[in-house]
Amino acid sequence: MTTQITSPPPTAEPRKRARRRPDGSYTAKVARPGFGWAVPATVFFALFAIVPLIAVAVLSFMSWNGLGSPEFVGMDNWTRIADDPVMINSIWLTLLLTALGVIIQTPLSILLGVWAAGNQRNRAVLSAIYFIPLLLSSTAVSVLWRALLDPNFGIPARATWLFGDGNLFGKQATAIGVLAFVSAWQFTPLHTLIYQGAARAIPQVLYQAAEIDGAGRYRQFFHITLPQLRNSIITSMILMIVGGLTTFETVLILTQGGPGTDTTISAYYMYQKAFKGFDFGAGAAIALALVVAATIISLIVVKVSGYDKMRSDMEGVS
Amino acid sequence: MKTRARLPRLVACGATLALALTLSACGDGNGGGSSDDGKIHVLVYGDAGNKVEKQIVDTFNKTSKVKAVLDTIPGADYQQKLQTIISTPNAPDIFYNWGGGSIQPFVKADLLLPLDDFIRKDPHLKDQFLPSVFNSAVVDGKAYGIPMRGTQPVLLFNNKKVLKDAGVEPPKTWDELLDAVKKLKASGVTPIALGGGDQWPTLMWFEYLYDRIAGPGLFEKALGGDKEAWNSADSKKALSMLRELVDAGAFGKNYDSVKYTNGASPALVAQGKAGFELMGSWYYSQQLEDAKEFAGKDLGYTTFPTVPGGKGEPGNVVGNTNNFYSVLKKTKHPEAAAEFLKLMYSDEFVKAQMAIGNLPTTTNTEKFLDTAASPDYARFQYDLVAKAPSFQLSWDQAYPPSAITPIHQAVQQFFNGQLDEDGFIKAMQALPTE
Repeated sequence: MTTQITSPPPTAEPRKRARRRPDGSYTAKVARPGFGWAVPATVFFALFAIVPLIAVAVLSFMSWNGLGSPEFVGMDNWTRIADDPVMINSIWLTLLLTALGVIIQTPLSILLGVWAAGNQRNRAVLSAIYFIPLLLSSTAVSVLWRALLDPNFGIPARATWLFGDGNLFGKQATAIGVLAFVSAWQFTPLHTLIYQGAARAIPQVLYQAAEIDGAGRYRQFFHITLPQLRNSIITSMILMIVGGLTTFETVLILTQGGPGTDTTISAYYMYQKAFKGFDFGAGAAIALALVVAATIISLIVVKVSGYDKMRSDMEGVS
Repeated sequence: MKTRARLPRLVACGATLALALTLSACGDGNGGGSSDDGKIHVLVYGDAGNKVEKQIVDTFNKTSKVKAVLDTIPGADYQQKLQTIISTPNAPDIFYNWGGGSIQPFVKADLLLPLDDFIRKDPHLKDQFLPSVFNSAVVDGKAYGIPMRGTQPVLLFNNKKVLKDAGVEPPKTWDELLDAVKKLKASGVTPIALGGGDQWPTLMWFEYLYDRIAGPGLFEKALGGDKEAWNSADSKKALSMLRELVDAGAFGKNYDSVKYTNGASPALVAQGKAGFELMGSWYYSQQLEDAKEFAGKDLGYTTFPTVPGGKGEPGNVVGNTNNFYSVLKKTKHPEAAAEFLKLMYSDEFVKAQMAIGNLPTTTNTEKFLDTAASPDYARFQYDLVAKAPSFQLSWDQAYPPSAITPIHQAVQQFFNGQLDEDGFIKAMQALPTE
């Protein structure tokens, strides 16, 4: 059983096929898929990510309202957004919402994921129900919650002991709370799924050994399950961070950046600048800043966590 | 073996290339434009109103040698899409817009044809339309648009039953409104429903109060670039009266969590939980759809209260004056475009618009008022607009698009107290005027 885990089967198949090649060239020995297989993905990535990214970078140094030809203005857009209090504020809001996302969703999804990985009765049915929010579009989810949280006809009207006057969208703290809650409601299932898969992959022998040594359920969770989930936690956190930095629809539909500019996060501010105000130069500058920030943060997480080295967590299993 | 390995590779590459080509081809698929295919392309905001535009295009094509083609862009994306195609070869010949600030950037970019020549040849292109409406598509003294749908003045709607229960008459003056607020509050309802979450319903209160107190001149000056207008005594008076209204609890406490667009604020009025709501004239048909019984029995409407001592005429209105057709300078068929625009004051046009519930702004509309679905309501609006000394286009449509978001933010922040008088004045002074 253990040998099956340590020698992963996927590489076995191409190796066999490569050996059969008559010319015995270098590629055949390494047995990697040919470059041709990377072409579709590369073409798509270049066409829909690299090319637009370069265009956005160029546009961020230009003034353009969509009419006529863009005009080169140097650093003008960049100095303008650097001096813009709404922009500065939007960065803090973005970081806050991202942090809230990680703090709320990680413990929830680890617990749910580990639970869903077990084989209790009803587990399959309940898990299926938990995953429903994942199937809905962010737009639908936001419209749904906006209606559910209406102060006169929604939940707050029935639970005044909790919500008071129900002015959830009229104050910064509660508006941010709603945004964090709705994102958590929608995305916890995705991360639960990641943890469920990872928890299933933890070899049972570890638990059997722990049981023999007399470790209880909590000790097993903290000393086997959590350490074994380490890489999944990092994967899930990177997804949350990148997702948090680029959150958009929830703000667009739930708060429209309001009250005032209290929930205007960077991605939404970019939309306001570019597609409402037709100031594409400033919009491009904000977008590029977001791309750079998201890349740096992801790199830091990867470095700090040692994810790039991808050490095995199964010392002593085989 | 070798060929077998290569085949999928080839297929994959081929499929990718084909996909890429189809995708890039989508870009220029939605035809039309000033590229001369011997037709004029008419671009319109896509919604239920297109029925009439289709009919008018068909009528035009019966007699015209140059044929017209109707292109539509569905609702919300209209302005963005228009902005991206208007300076390309895909641009239409004639297009739908909101007048004022929505066409100002196009005028500045020298894309639009002034209609003065058309009007010289056929004066009806101007004198058949109500002047207060026609004027909102005049930029820098030149006419750029012909009204082509219905007018939507902002009115003060009420729930007659709620008012009666609280012993309140529809207010004619500002003081009566404040008094009504007090009484309605005492009877346990929200005096005025406000969809503050959408932000633009809040703006309507500013538009009316500024007009009543200072007359249309203040806003015209501010729009023209005179930033000091916002700092005037009249401006401060309007703000202090708005503050008084908000502080009196006129809108309740949670108006920023209420939206008009998801039906929450009209439901407050229809279900008797609020007394008034200030909204565009489309409110009537909205209530007919959402709450038919209420709309038929208890839905009342009046003009905005007057403010004693204010400089604005009591007959002034604010709102959406109408939608307009503008013509691109580079059209190959200006004569055909002029002929097409003449249909916008025809009897057929008026009848067709009335049939779908719109109220056109031509002088001959008066003849057909009795054919409207609710003749009283149609006549009330028509008289209001026809007699209005000034019809102020909504601020967020009068200013160029880059000002829309800052305006919406400022009005919301003034209502919820994040901005005081000076803060609001500064925010308005910072708006781009061109």
